[in-house]
Amino acid sequence: MKYICSICGYVYDETSEGTAFADLPDSWVCPLCRAAKDLFRPEKTEAAPEPAHPDPAAAGPSAHVDTDHAGEDLHKLSAGELSSLCSNLARGCEKQYKNEEAGLFREIAAYFAAVTPDEPDGDLTHLLSLFENDLTIGYPAVQSAAQTTGDRGTQRVCVWGQKVTVILNSLVQRYQREGSAFLRNTQIWVCSVCGFAYVGDTPPELCPVCKVPAWKFDKIEGRRSA
Amino acid sequence: MKTKIAVRNLRLCTKDCLCLYVCPTGATDTEDSIIDISKCTGCGDCADACPGGAISIVPLEYPPQQKKEDPVLTESYRMIKNKAAQEKTAAQIAASTDEDALYRLMTAVARSVRLVNEDLLRESGYMLPQSGNTHALLHEWAENPPADDFPIEAARKLLELIPDNDA
Repeated sequence: MKYICSICGYVYDETSEGTAFADLPDSWVCPLCRAAKDLFRPEKTEAAPEPAHPDPAAAGPSAHVDTDHAGEDLHKLSAGELSSLCSNLARGCEKQYKNEEAGLFREIAAYFAAVTPDEPDGDLTHLLSLFENDLTIGYPAVQSAAQTTGDRGTQRVCVWGQKVTVILNSLVQRYQREGSAFLRNTQIWVCSVCGFAYVGDTPPELCPVCKVPAWKFDKIEGRRSA
Repeated sequence: MKTKIAVRNLRLCTKDCLCLYVCPTGATDTEDSIIDISKCTGCGDCADACPGGAISIVPLEYPPQQKKEDPVLTESYRMIKNKAAQEKTAAQIAASTDEDALYRLMTAVARSVRLVNEDLLRESGYMLPQSGNTHALLHEWAENPPADDFPIEAARKLLELIPDNDA
Protein backbone atom coordinates (compact mmCIF):
# COMPACT_ATOMS: atom_id res chain seq x y z
CA MET A 1 0.00 0.00 0.00
CA LYS A 2 1.20 3.51 -0.82
CA TYR A 3 0.33 6.82 0.85
CA ILE A 4 0.69 10.18 -0.90
CA CYS A 5 1.48 13.51 0.75
CA SER A 6 -1.37 15.89 -0.12
CA ILE A 7 1.00 18.86 -0.04
CA CYS A 8 4.07 17.81 -2.06
CA GLY A 9 3.16 14.44 -3.57
CA TYR A 10 5.82 12.41 -1.68
CA VAL A 11 5.02 8.71 -1.87
CA TYR A 12 5.33 6.58 1.27
CA ASP A 13 5.59 2.98 0.01
CA GLU A 14 4.97 0.52 2.85
CA THR A 15 6.72 -2.26 0.92
CA SER A 16 10.04 -0.48 0.49
CA GLU A 17 9.87 1.36 3.83
CA GLY A 18 9.21 -1.84 5.75
CA THR A 19 6.83 -0.14 8.21
CA ALA A 20 3.07 -0.01 7.87
CA PHE A 21 1.87 3.57 7.54
CA ALA A 22 -0.54 3.02 10.43
CA ASP A 23 2.40 2.03 12.67
CA LEU A 24 4.23 5.32 12.17
CA PRO A 25 4.00 7.58 15.24
CA ASP A 26 1.59 10.54 15.07
CA SER A 27 4.59 12.85 15.28
CA TRP A 28 5.94 11.45 11.98
CA VAL A 29 6.07 14.08 9.23
CA CYS A 30 6.62 14.03 5.47
CA PRO A 31 10.40 13.71 4.84
CA LEU A 32 10.19 16.26 2.01
CA CYS A 33 7.81 19.02 3.16
CA ARG A 34 7.22 18.10 6.85
CA ALA A 35 3.47 17.89 6.38
CA ALA A 36 1.80 16.07 9.29
CA LYS A 37 1.00 12.36 8.99
CA ASP A 38 -2.76 13.04 8.79
CA LEU A 39 -2.22 15.03 5.58
CA PHE A 40 -1.29 11.81 3.72
CA ARG A 41 -3.94 10.02 1.63
CA PRO A 42 -3.92 6.37 0.58
CA GLU A 43 -3.02 6.00 -3.10
CA LYS A 44 -6.12 5.63 -5.21
CA THR A 45 -6.39 2.20 -6.76
CA GLU A 46 -8.03 1.90 -10.16
CA ALA A 47 -11.10 0.23 -8.73
CA ALA A 48 -11.64 2.86 -6.08
CA PRO A 49 -14.30 5.43 -6.94
CA GLU A 50 -13.33 9.09 -7.08
CA PRO A 51 -14.02 10.78 -3.76
CA ALA A 52 -17.05 13.00 -3.92
CA HIS A 53 -16.07 16.44 -5.17
CA PRO A 54 -16.79 19.08 -2.56
CA ASP A 55 -19.95 20.80 -3.67
CA PRO A 56 -19.98 24.44 -2.62
CA ALA A 57 -23.75 24.53 -3.03
CA ALA A 58 -24.00 21.85 -0.35
CA ALA A 59 -21.97 23.97 2.04
CA GLY A 60 -25.15 25.76 2.96
CA PRO A 61 -26.56 29.20 2.45
CA SER A 62 -23.50 30.90 3.92
CA ALA A 63 -21.67 30.30 0.62
CA HIS A 64 -24.29 32.30 -1.25
CA VAL A 65 -25.53 34.91 1.17
CA ASP A 66 -24.94 37.94 -0.98
CA THR A 67 -24.33 38.30 -4.66
CA ASP A 68 -22.61 41.67 -4.64
CA HIS A 69 -20.50 42.36 -7.65
CA ALA A 70 -16.98 42.61 -6.29
CA GLY A 71 -16.10 45.45 -8.65
CA GLU A 72 -19.01 47.53 -7.38
CA ASP A 73 -17.99 46.55 -3.88
CA LEU A 74 -14.76 48.49 -4.04
CA HIS A 75 -15.75 50.98 -1.39
CA LYS A 76 -16.52 48.20 1.03
CA LEU A 77 -13.02 46.71 1.05
CA SER A 78 -11.74 46.93 4.62
CA ALA A 79 -8.44 48.49 5.65
CA GLY A 80 -6.91 45.03 6.10
CA GLU A 81 -7.92 44.02 2.58
CA LEU A 82 -6.69 47.30 1.09
CA SER A 83 -3.34 46.83 2.80
CA SER A 84 -2.84 43.48 1.02
CA LEU A 85 -4.14 44.98 -2.22
CA CYS A 86 -1.49 47.72 -2.06
CA SER A 87 1.37 45.45 -0.98
CA ASN A 88 0.43 43.25 -3.95
CA LEU A 89 0.65 46.26 -6.27
CA ALA A 90 4.01 47.15 -4.71
CA ARG A 91 5.23 43.67 -5.71
CA GLY A 92 3.84 44.23 -9.18
CA CYS A 93 5.92 47.41 -9.44
CA GLU A 94 9.02 45.62 -8.13
CA LYS A 95 8.67 42.96 -10.81
CA GLN A 96 8.59 45.73 -13.40
CA TYR A 97 11.69 47.31 -11.79
CA LYS A 98 9.67 50.39 -10.78
CA ASN A 99 11.17 51.00 -7.35
CA GLU A 100 9.77 54.47 -6.68
CA GLU A 101 6.21 53.29 -7.44
CA ALA A 102 6.76 50.18 -5.30
CA GLY A 103 7.78 52.38 -2.37
CA LEU A 104 4.66 54.55 -2.71
CA PHE A 105 2.35 51.54 -2.75
CA ARG A 106 4.17 50.17 0.32
CA GLU A 107 3.56 53.49 2.07
CA ILE A 108 -0.20 53.23 1.42
CA ALA A 109 -0.16 49.52 2.44
CA ALA A 110 1.53 50.46 5.73
CA TYR A 111 -1.10 53.15 6.35
CA PHE A 112 -3.95 50.67 5.91
CA ALA A 113 -2.18 48.04 8.05
CA ALA A 114 -1.83 50.59 10.85
CA VAL A 115 -5.54 51.52 10.83
CA THR A 116 -6.86 47.93 10.61
CA PRO A 117 -9.04 47.41 13.71
CA ASP A 118 -8.38 44.45 16.02
CA GLU A 119 -10.36 41.27 15.45
CA PRO A 120 -12.79 40.60 18.29
CA ASP A 121 -11.99 37.25 19.95
CA GLY A 122 -8.64 37.23 18.18
CA ASP A 123 -7.35 33.96 19.61
CA LEU A 124 -6.12 30.62 18.25
CA THR A 125 -9.62 29.12 18.22
CA HIS A 126 -10.87 32.03 16.11
CA LEU A 127 -7.89 31.62 13.76
CA LEU A 128 -8.57 27.89 13.34
CA SER A 129 -12.25 28.55 12.61
CA LEU A 130 -11.27 31.02 9.87
CA PHE A 131 -8.94 28.41 8.31
CA GLU A 132 -11.70 25.83 8.54
CA ASN A 133 -14.07 28.21 6.75
CA ASP A 134 -11.63 28.63 3.84
CA LEU A 135 -10.96 24.90 3.58
CA THR A 136 -14.57 23.73 3.70
CA ILE A 137 -16.38 26.63 1.97
CA GLY A 138 -14.02 29.25 0.53
CA TYR A 139 -11.66 27.22 -1.65
CA PRO A 140 -14.29 24.79 -2.99
CA ALA A 141 -16.49 27.77 -3.97
CA VAL A 142 -13.66 29.72 -5.67
CA GLN A 143 -12.37 26.55 -7.36
CA SER A 144 -15.83 25.69 -8.66
CA ALA A 145 -16.43 29.22 -10.04
CA ALA A 146 -12.97 29.22 -11.64
CA GLN A 147 -13.53 25.82 -13.25
CA THR A 148 -16.94 26.83 -14.58
CA THR A 149 -15.54 29.97 -16.20
CA GLY A 150 -12.28 28.34 -17.39
CA ASP A 151 -10.20 30.72 -15.24
CA ARG A 152 -6.90 28.87 -14.89
CA GLY A 153 -5.15 31.72 -13.08
CA THR A 154 -7.64 31.55 -10.23
CA GLN A 155 -7.46 27.74 -10.25
CA ARG A 156 -3.70 28.10 -9.71
CA VAL A 157 -4.36 30.45 -6.76
CA CYS A 158 -6.57 27.72 -5.30
CA VAL A 159 -3.94 24.98 -5.77
CA TRP A 160 -1.29 27.01 -3.94
CA GLY A 161 -3.49 28.77 -1.41
CA GLN A 162 -5.34 25.65 -0.33
CA LYS A 163 -2.09 23.77 0.34
CA VAL A 164 -0.65 26.70 2.27
CA THR A 165 -3.84 26.99 4.32
CA VAL A 166 -3.78 23.25 5.06
CA ILE A 167 -0.20 23.56 6.34
CA LEU A 168 -0.95 26.63 8.49
CA ASN A 169 -4.03 24.92 9.92
CA SER A 170 -1.97 21.82 10.68
CA LEU A 171 0.83 23.79 12.40
CA VAL A 172 -1.60 25.79 14.56
CA GLN A 173 -3.52 22.64 15.49
CA ARG A 174 -0.25 20.97 16.45
CA TYR A 175 0.69 23.96 18.60
CA GLN A 176 -2.68 23.78 20.35
CA ARG A 177 -2.30 20.03 20.91
CA GLU A 178 1.38 19.79 21.87
CA GLY A 179 2.46 23.27 22.86
CA SER A 180 5.67 24.87 21.72
CA ALA A 181 8.11 21.92 22.03
CA PHE A 182 8.18 21.19 18.29
CA LEU A 183 9.26 24.76 17.54
CA ARG A 184 12.02 25.02 20.15
CA ASN A 185 15.63 24.98 18.94
CA THR A 186 14.58 25.08 15.32
CA GLN A 187 13.39 27.63 12.78
CA ILE A 188 10.19 28.54 10.93
CA TRP A 189 10.60 29.43 7.25
CA VAL A 190 8.05 31.05 4.95
CA CYS A 191 8.26 30.87 1.15
CA SER A 192 8.31 34.50 0.00
CA VAL A 193 6.43 33.56 -3.18
CA CYS A 194 3.50 31.33 -2.12
CA GLY A 195 3.54 31.56 1.69
CA PHE A 196 4.29 27.88 2.38
CA ALA A 197 5.48 27.49 6.00
CA TYR A 198 8.18 24.99 6.99
CA VAL A 199 9.61 24.01 10.37
CA GLY A 200 13.29 22.94 10.23
CA ASP A 201 16.87 24.04 10.76
CA THR A 202 17.30 24.93 7.07
CA PRO A 203 14.68 25.64 4.39
CA PRO A 204 13.78 22.92 1.86
CA GLU A 205 15.79 22.84 -1.40
CA LEU A 206 12.63 23.54 -3.39
CA CYS A 207 9.33 24.92 -2.14
CA PRO A 208 7.03 21.88 -2.14
CA VAL A 209 4.09 24.05 -3.23
CA CYS A 210 5.41 26.54 -5.81
CA LYS A 211 8.84 24.96 -6.56
CA VAL A 212 11.04 28.02 -6.07
CA PRO A 213 14.59 27.45 -4.66
CA ALA A 214 15.60 27.63 -0.98
CA TRP A 215 16.87 31.21 -1.13
CA LYS A 216 13.29 32.40 -1.69
CA PHE A 217 12.46 31.32 1.90
CA ASP A 218 12.54 33.86 4.73
CA LYS A 219 13.49 32.86 8.26
CA ILE A 220 11.01 34.11 10.85
CA GLU A 221 13.01 35.89 13.54
CA GLY A 222 12.08 35.91 17.22
CA ARG A 223 11.12 39.12 18.94
CA ARG A 224 14.12 41.29 19.62
CA SER A 225 14.58 41.63 23.35
CA ALA A 226 14.29 45.20 24.53
CA MET B 1 10.41 55.88 -30.11
CA LYS B 2 11.53 52.82 -28.20
CA THR B 3 8.84 50.43 -27.00
CA LYS B 4 10.99 48.10 -24.86
CA ILE B 5 13.82 48.26 -22.36
CA ALA B 6 16.30 45.79 -20.91
CA VAL B 7 16.32 44.96 -17.18
CA ARG B 8 18.89 42.90 -15.30
CA ASN B 9 18.09 40.42 -12.51
CA LEU B 10 21.08 40.72 -10.18
CA ARG B 11 20.30 37.36 -8.55
CA LEU B 12 20.87 35.62 -11.86
CA CYS B 13 23.78 37.75 -13.09
CA THR B 14 27.01 35.70 -13.18
CA LYS B 15 29.18 38.68 -14.29
CA ASP B 16 30.11 37.20 -17.65
CA CYS B 17 29.81 40.79 -18.86
CA LEU B 18 28.91 39.97 -22.47
CA CYS B 19 26.19 42.63 -22.16
CA LEU B 20 28.93 45.25 -21.81
CA TYR B 21 30.55 44.16 -25.08
CA VAL B 22 27.38 44.07 -27.18
CA CYS B 23 25.49 47.13 -25.88
CA PRO B 24 25.53 49.84 -28.58
CA THR B 25 24.99 52.69 -26.09
CA GLY B 26 26.79 51.68 -22.90
CA ALA B 27 23.49 51.39 -21.01
CA THR B 28 24.50 48.07 -19.41
CA ASP B 29 27.73 49.42 -17.89
CA THR B 30 26.81 51.19 -14.65
CA GLU B 31 28.28 51.49 -11.15
CA ASP B 32 25.17 49.98 -9.50
CA SER B 33 24.61 47.20 -12.08
CA ILE B 34 21.13 48.55 -12.89
CA ILE B 35 20.76 49.09 -16.64
CA ASP B 36 20.52 52.80 -17.47
CA ILE B 37 17.12 53.01 -19.11
CA SER B 38 17.72 56.53 -20.35
CA LYS B 39 20.44 55.09 -22.60
CA CYS B 40 18.83 51.72 -23.38
CA THR B 41 17.28 51.52 -26.87
CA GLY B 42 15.53 48.20 -26.25
CA CYS B 43 17.47 46.47 -29.05
CA GLY B 44 17.70 43.22 -27.04
CA ASP B 45 21.32 42.39 -27.95
CA CYS B 46 22.32 42.15 -24.27
CA ALA B 47 19.52 39.69 -23.47
CA ASP B 48 20.49 37.54 -26.47
CA ALA B 49 24.15 37.56 -25.45
CA CYS B 50 23.69 36.94 -21.71
CA PRO B 51 24.71 33.35 -20.90
CA GLY B 52 23.00 33.43 -17.50
CA GLY B 53 19.54 34.51 -18.67
CA ALA B 54 19.81 37.46 -16.28
CA ILE B 55 18.55 40.12 -18.69
CA SER B 56 14.93 40.41 -19.80
CA ILE B 57 13.41 42.74 -22.35
CA VAL B 58 10.20 44.25 -20.98
CA PRO B 59 7.66 46.51 -22.70
CA LEU B 60 7.33 50.15 -21.67
CA GLU B 61 3.57 49.85 -22.13
CA TYR B 62 1.86 46.83 -20.65
CA PRO B 63 -1.22 45.27 -22.25
CA PRO B 64 -4.60 45.52 -20.51
CA GLN B 65 -4.90 42.87 -17.80
CA GLN B 66 -7.13 39.85 -18.29
CA LYS B 67 -10.80 40.33 -17.46
CA LYS B 68 -12.21 38.35 -14.55
CA GLU B 69 -15.69 36.85 -14.44
CA ASP B 70 -18.15 38.04 -11.78
CA PRO B 71 -18.80 34.60 -10.19
CA VAL B 72 -15.04 34.17 -9.63
CA LEU B 73 -14.72 37.70 -8.19
CA THR B 74 -17.67 37.22 -5.84
CA GLU B 75 -16.21 34.06 -4.31
CA SER B 76 -12.64 35.37 -4.32
CA TYR B 77 -13.54 38.59 -2.48
CA ARG B 78 -15.39 36.57 0.15
CA MET B 79 -12.18 34.69 0.85
CA ILE B 80 -10.04 37.85 0.67
CA LYS B 81 -12.09 39.18 3.61
CA ASN B 82 -11.45 35.96 5.54
CA LYS B 83 -7.71 36.07 4.82
CA ALA B 84 -7.50 39.66 6.08
CA ALA B 85 -9.18 38.54 9.34
CA GLN B 86 -6.69 35.64 9.64
CA GLU B 87 -3.70 37.91 9.17
CA LYS B 88 -4.96 40.38 11.75
CA THR B 89 -5.78 37.64 14.26
CA ALA B 90 -2.31 36.09 13.92
CA ALA B 91 -0.65 39.52 14.23
CA GLN B 92 -2.69 40.25 17.38
CA ILE B 93 -1.68 36.96 19.00
CA ALA B 94 1.98 37.57 18.08
CA ALA B 95 1.84 41.06 19.59
CA SER B 96 0.37 39.88 22.88
CA THR B 97 2.39 36.73 23.61
CA ASP B 98 5.56 36.50 25.70
CA GLU B 99 6.40 33.07 24.35
CA ASP B 100 9.05 32.96 21.60
CA ALA B 101 7.66 29.91 19.78
CA LEU B 102 4.12 31.27 19.58
CA TYR B 103 5.44 34.68 18.53
CA ARG B 104 7.36 33.12 15.64
CA LEU B 105 4.51 30.81 14.64
CA MET B 106 1.98 33.66 14.54
CA THR B 107 4.42 35.96 12.73
CA ALA B 108 4.88 33.18 10.16
CA VAL B 109 1.09 32.75 9.83
CA ALA B 110 0.54 36.51 9.37
CA ARG B 111 3.33 36.68 6.75
CA SER B 112 2.07 33.60 4.94
CA VAL B 113 -1.58 34.68 4.88
CA ARG B 114 -0.58 38.11 3.56
CA LEU B 115 1.21 36.43 0.63
CA VAL B 116 -1.79 34.22 -0.11
CA ASN B 117 -4.10 37.24 0.02
CA GLU B 118 -1.86 39.26 -2.28
CA ASP B 119 -2.03 36.35 -4.70
CA LEU B 120 -5.84 36.27 -4.51
CA LEU B 121 -6.06 40.03 -5.10
CA ARG B 122 -3.62 39.76 -8.02
CA GLU B 123 -6.03 37.31 -9.65
CA SER B 124 -9.08 39.42 -8.71
CA GLY B 125 -8.53 42.48 -10.86
CA TYR B 126 -5.33 43.92 -9.37
CA MET B 127 -2.54 42.20 -11.26
CA LEU B 128 -1.20 45.30 -12.98
CA PRO B 129 -0.45 48.63 -11.31
CA GLN B 130 -1.35 50.05 -14.74
CA SER B 131 -4.89 48.63 -14.65
CA GLY B 132 -8.07 50.69 -14.71
CA ASN B 133 -9.05 49.13 -11.37
CA THR B 134 -5.88 50.39 -9.72
CA HIS B 135 -6.43 53.84 -11.22
CA ALA B 136 -10.01 53.97 -9.96
CA LEU B 137 -8.74 53.32 -6.43
CA LEU B 138 -5.95 55.88 -6.67
CA HIS B 139 -8.37 58.52 -7.99
CA GLU B 140 -10.80 57.76 -5.19
CA TRP B 141 -8.05 58.20 -2.58
CA ALA B 142 -6.63 61.34 -4.18
CA GLU B 143 -10.07 62.98 -4.36
CA ASN B 144 -11.70 61.61 -1.20
CA PRO B 145 -8.94 60.47 1.14
CA PRO B 146 -10.33 57.94 3.67
CA ALA B 147 -8.89 59.93 6.61
CA ASP B 148 -6.90 63.06 7.37
CA ASP B 149 -3.71 61.11 7.97
CA PHE B 150 -3.98 59.14 4.71
CA PRO B 151 -0.77 59.55 2.62
CA ILE B 152 -2.55 61.45 -0.14
CA GLU B 153 0.71 62.56 -1.79
CA ALA B 154 1.62 58.93 -2.43
CA ALA B 155 -1.67 58.38 -4.28
CA ARG B 156 -1.21 61.59 -6.31
CA LYS B 157 2.35 60.72 -7.21
CA LEU B 158 1.33 57.22 -8.33
CA LEU B 159 -1.32 58.71 -10.61
CA GLU B 160 1.41 60.81 -12.22
CA LEU B 161 3.87 57.96 -12.57
CA ILE B 162 1.65 55.09 -13.68
CA PRO B 163 -0.30 55.14 -16.94
CA ASP B 164 -3.83 53.70 -17.12
CA ASN B 165 -3.72 51.03 -19.80
CA ASP B 166 -7.47 50.38 -19.68
CA ALA B 167 -8.30 54.01 -20.44
